Amino acid sequence: MKTVRKTLVSLLILAISFSLILAGCSSKESGGSKSSGTKDGEKVVIDFWTFWGSETRRPIIEKIIDDFNKSQDKIEVKHTYLPWGDVWTKNLASIAAGNPADLIINDINAVGHRAQNNQNTNLAKYLEQDPEVKDRFYPELYNASLYEGDPYALPFNTDTRLMFWNKDMFEEAGLDPNTPPKTWAELEEMGKKLDVKKGDKYERIGYLPNQGIGADVWMINADGKGYWDFDAKKAIINDETNVEALTWMKNYYDYYGDKTINSFKAEFGEQTADPFVAGKLAITTDNANFFTKIRDYGDGMNFGVAPLPAMEEGSGNSSWGGGFVAEIPKGAKHPDEAWEFLKYLTDVQAQEYWAVKNFDVVANKEAAEKAAGSAEFSEEGKMVYSEAAENMKQTLLTPTPNEAPDYINLIQPEIESVLLGKKSPKEGLDAAQKAVEELVKSNKK
Amino acid sequence: MSAAAQTKENYFKSANFKKKTGQTIVLIVLILGSLLILSPIWWMIATSLKDMKEIMTYPPTFIPKEWHWENYLITLQKGPFLQYTLNTLFITVFVVIGNVVANSFIAYGFAKIHFKGRNVLFACVLATMMIPGFVTLVPQYVIYAKLGWLNTYLPLILPAFFGSAFNIFLLRQFFLTIPNELIEAAKIDGANHLYIWWKIFIPLAKPAIATVAIFSFNGAWNDFLGPLLYINDESLYTLQLGLQIFKGQNDTQWNFLMAGSLMVLLPVITIFFFFQRYFIEGMNLTAGSKG
Amino acid sequence: MERIVINKPEITKKYKKQKASSSLQRKEGLQGYLFIAPWIIGFLFFMAGPLLFSLYGSFTNFNITSKMDFIGLDNFKKMFTNDPIIWLSLKNTLYFVVISVPLTTAGAVMLAVLLNQGIKGMRVFRTIFYLPAVLSGVGVYLLWMQLLSPSSGLVNTLLGFVGIDGPAWLTDPSWTKNALIFMKMWSVGGGMLLYLASLQGVSQSLYEAAEIDGATSFRKFFHITLPMITPVIFFDLVTSTIGAFQIFQEAYVMSESGDGGPANSLVFFNLHMWNKAFEVFDMGYAMAMSWVLFIIILVLTVFNLKIAPRWVHYEGEDRK
Repeated sequence: MKTVRKTLVSLLILAISFSLILAGCSSKESGGSKSSGTKDGEKVVIDFWTFWGSETRRPIIEKIIDDFNKSQDKIEVKHTYLPWGDVWTKNLASIAAGNPADLIINDINAVGHRAQNNQNTNLAKYLEQDPEVKDRFYPELYNASLYEGDPYALPFNTDTRLMFWNKDMFEEAGLDPNTPPKTWAELEEMGKKLDVKKGDKYERIGYLPNQGIGADVWMINADGKGYWDFDAKKAIINDETNVEALTWMKNYYDYYGDKTINSFKAEFGEQTADPFVAGKLAITTDNANFFTKIRDYGDGMNFGVAPLPAMEEGSGNSSWGGGFVAEIPKGAKHPDEAWEFLKYLTDVQAQEYWAVKNFDVVANKEAAEKAAGSAEFSEEGKMVYSEAAENMKQTLLTPTPNEAPDYINLIQPEIESVLLGKKSPKEGLDAAQKAVEELVKSNKK
Repeated sequence: MSAAAQTKENYFKSANFKKKTGQTIVLIVLILGSLLILSPIWWMIATSLKDMKEIMTYPPTFIPKEWHWENYLITLQKGPFLQYTLNTLFITVFVVIGNVVANSFIAYGFAKIHFKGRNVLFACVLATMMIPGFVTLVPQYVIYAKLGWLNTYLPLILPAFFGSAFNIFLLRQFFLTIPNELIEAAKIDGANHLYIWWKIFIPLAKPAIATVAIFSFNGAWNDFLGPLLYINDESLYTLQLGLQIFKGQNDTQWNFLMAGSLMVLLPVITIFFFFQRYFIEGMNLTAGSKG
Repeated sequence: MERIVINKPEITKKYKKQKASSSLQRKEGLQGYLFIAPWIIGFLFFMAGPLLFSLYGSFTNFNITSKMDFIGLDNFKKMFTNDPIIWLSLKNTLYFVVISVPLTTAGAVMLAVLLNQGIKGMRVFRTIFYLPAVLSGVGVYLLWMQLLSPSSGLVNTLLGFVGIDGPAWLTDPSWTKNALIFMKMWSVGGGMLLYLASLQGVSQSLYEAAEIDGATSFRKFFHITLPMITPVIFFDLVTSTIGAFQIFQEAYVMSESGDGGPANSLVFFNLHMWNKAFEVFDMGYAMAMSWVLFIIILVLTVFNLKIAPRWVHYEGEDRK
C-alpha cells in the first residue's frame, strides 16, 4: 500500500515535470485524411447522416433520398440514422480521423462557428457554378450559413416562434376570441383576465412569459436585436431595451411568484404534457410545429395563431427562429456528389414534400409558400402554416458569435438569478455583459 | 433452512422465536423497500401501456385508462430489433468472457505474486480511472480508424481482453482476502501460479467473479457511446442505438421507448437472477442466518 | 472490547511455510509479469497514446478538427484568471462527492446485509433492489424528471402522504443537487452487489467464536462483518469517489438544454468540460481541465491509500 501511494505521488511529480518540459518546446500537428474507394460499380456512394430516425421523419427523408437515387444514375445516397445530439459528437470524431460522412444535418446557428474551426466545406465554388441556388432560401437563413462571406452549408428547415391562444377560454373570460393581444401590455392584461384561481392555487394561468420562449426572444422582439450586435460584432446584453424586456418579464414573473412558476414549469418541463394542450394555459408562444401537438392531443381545441405581440405599438413583431442545415463535413470523400444531392435536397420538390409531411417550415421560400396552400393540410393547418411562412419575414436567427461561442453559458445563469430575485435586471445584465466582454477579450489573445 | 415446528412451551423464549421475529422485521423492511424501488419502474410500465394521447394528458395518470398491450408488439415492429438483439448479444458474450478471464488473471498477478514494480504498476492501473473519457475519446477514435477497425465490433470487444482498471482493482481486493497459505500449500504439491489461479482462486472467488460478469454484461448490454462512435452501418447497430429511434428532438414516443427499454432490461434481469446461484453458496456462513 | 482472533482455514495447518530462495524469487517475478502482461499490452496499445495525446493537448489550443498550436500554460492560466464557472463547477462537484459517496456506500452496505439473510424469496428481493442499477441511460433520467415533478410527480405525492410538502426538485437551485443524490440512492443496488459478494467470504467460524462469547447481532456486525468487508468498502470508496467526481450525464440530461441550470446549480466539472470540448471546440482547454481533475482525484486517492492501512483488513495479506 505504501508503495502504491508513493508511486501515485511520483506520478504526480512526473506529470508536473513532464508538463514543464513540454512548456519549453513547441510543435504542430494536424489531422490527416486518407481516401477509400466507396464506388459501387459506376455509382458513387455518398454517406448522409441525419438524426431523423422516428417513424414520422424517417420515411419522409428516405423517400426524398430514394427519389434522388432514381432520378439519376451516377450517385447513390446512403442514409444513416444517428441519435439526436450524439450525431454531432460522432461527426467531430470522424472529421478528426479523416473519414467523415459526405453530408450531414447540423444546427444552423453554429455554421460559422464550425467553419471557423474547419469542420465544414466552403461551398463558394459550387455556388459560383449554380448561382441561382442562393435565391431559393429565406435570406435570413442563407445569411446564417455564411462565414466571412462564404457559404458553408445550405439551410434545410427552420422554425419560428408564434403566439397561440385558446379561443374558448377567451370567450369564457369575456374577451373577443378573434382579437389576440397586440402589445406586451395587452398580453399582460388579457393574460391576467384569463387566470383561474382556486384558493391560493392557480387552476389555469393566462400566460407566462417564460413558457416556450425565454428572455432572449423577448429582447429580440423588443427591438430586433438580442444579446449580440452582428454588425458591430459586440455584445449588447445590457442595452436599454434588453433591460426593459427583462424588467417586464421579472415583474410579470413576480405577479405569480416563484413557487407558482417553479412548480408550473417543472410540471410541464418535460416533453410529455404541455400546459396549453392540457388546458392549463390560455396563451402560449411556441414553434409553428407546435400545431401538430394541438392537432393530435388537443381534443379539437379551438385556437388561433398570431405573431408575437410587439413591445409597444409600432415597435415590430420580431420573432426568433432556429433550424438545421445540410453541410459537407471537412475531409468528405465525395464533396462534388454531395453537392449534387444537397441541391436536390433544398430544391422545391423535396422541400415541399418535407414541409407538407412534417409540418415543418422549410428553408426554400417557394416550397414553404406552396406548402401553405397544400391540399393535404386541414384548414387549421393552412392557417398556421401560412402564418408561419409570413412570420419568416420578421424572424431573426442568432448565429453563434465567433468571438464568444459560449456566451449563452455566461448569460443564462444571470437571467436565472434575476428571475429568482437575487439581482435586479440591470445588475444581472450588466454582470453578463461584463463576463461576455471578458470572454471576448480572452478569446482574442 | 426453516426449522421444524417447535412444541416446547417456552417457545417464545427460544432462539427460534427470536430468529423468526427478526426475519419478519427484515421481511417487512424489504417489502416496503421493494415498493419504493419499484414505483418508478411501475411508472415505466404504466407509460409503456398508454397511448400517446394519454401520456400527453395532465395530470398524468398513475394507472393507464386503457391498457395498450399491443404497444409491445408495435415496438418490436418499428425496427429490426431481432438483428439488434443478436448484435448486442454477440458483443456482450465476448466482452463478458474477456472481462472475467483477463481481469481475474491480471488481478491475481497484482494480488498474489511478488515482483519488482508491482505497486508502481498497480498505481498506474488506478490512475487510468482518473482521467475523464471525453478527452481521450477523439484520439482513441483516430487510433481505431487508423487500424481500420471502424464499423467492426473490434473496438467494442477487444479491449475487454486486456483488463479494465475497475475490475482489476475489484478482483484484487477479493483475492487479497484469500489466505496466502493456500498458495504455499498448493506450491508444495507442485502447482504453479497458472494452476492456482484457475483451479483455486477462480472457484474460491466465485461471488466476485460473478459480480464482474454481471457488471460487464450490464455494461456491454447497455453501452451506448461505443457502438455510436464505432459502428456506421445500421445493420450492425445494437439495442441501445436502436431504441433511440423513439426519441426525437421534440417528438419522443414515450410509450414505445419505455416498452423497448423494459424489454431490453429482461435479459439482464434473467442473467442476474441466474447468477445469484453464486451468492447463495456462502449463505449459511453469514450473519443473522444461524439456526 | 477484545478483538476476535481470526482462525486460519484448516488446510493451512498441514503445511509449513518455506522460505523461497533467490532464484525462486526471480522465477516468481517473471510469472508476475506474465500475469499482468495483458494489462500492460492493452495499456500501451489502447490507452497510452490517447493519454499522452491529451496531456500534450492540454498545452495547445487543440480544436479537435484542425488547430493544435502550442500555447504553453495559457489554458491553465485561463482557468485561474478567466473562467468563473470552473470554480463554481468544482464547488458543485465537491458538494456532490461529499454527500453522495458516504450515503451510497453506507446504503449499499446496509442493503447487502439485509439481503444476505436466509429468507425465502430472497432472490426476488435481490433482483428488485438490483433493478435500478441495470436501468441506465437517458431514459431513466427523463423518467426521474417526471417522478420529481413538484405537484404531480410520484416522489412528492408519496412525501405528501407523510405530511411533507416536497420541494420543486429540479427547478429550485437549492434542491437540484439533492435531487441527483436522491436518484443515486435509488440505484444503490450496484454497490450492494459488491458487498453481497464479499459477505460470502466471511467465514462462519468467526461468528461461531463470537457466539460463544455471547456477542449480539449488533456487535457481530461491527466486529466481524464490517472489518471483514473493509477491502471492498475501500474499493467502493475509491471508485465511487472517482465516479462521483466525473458526474456528467445526469446533469446534462436533467438541466435545461444541458447547460447546468437552473442558476448554474448543476454545473459540474465534467459538464463544464464537455461544453468546452464539444460545444465551443476548445478541446485543449478541456484537456487541461481533465488533468487538473486528475490531480485532484489523485491527491484524494493518495490520501485514501494513506489512511487505508488503519482500517482496511486483508485476511490473506502478509504484512511487512
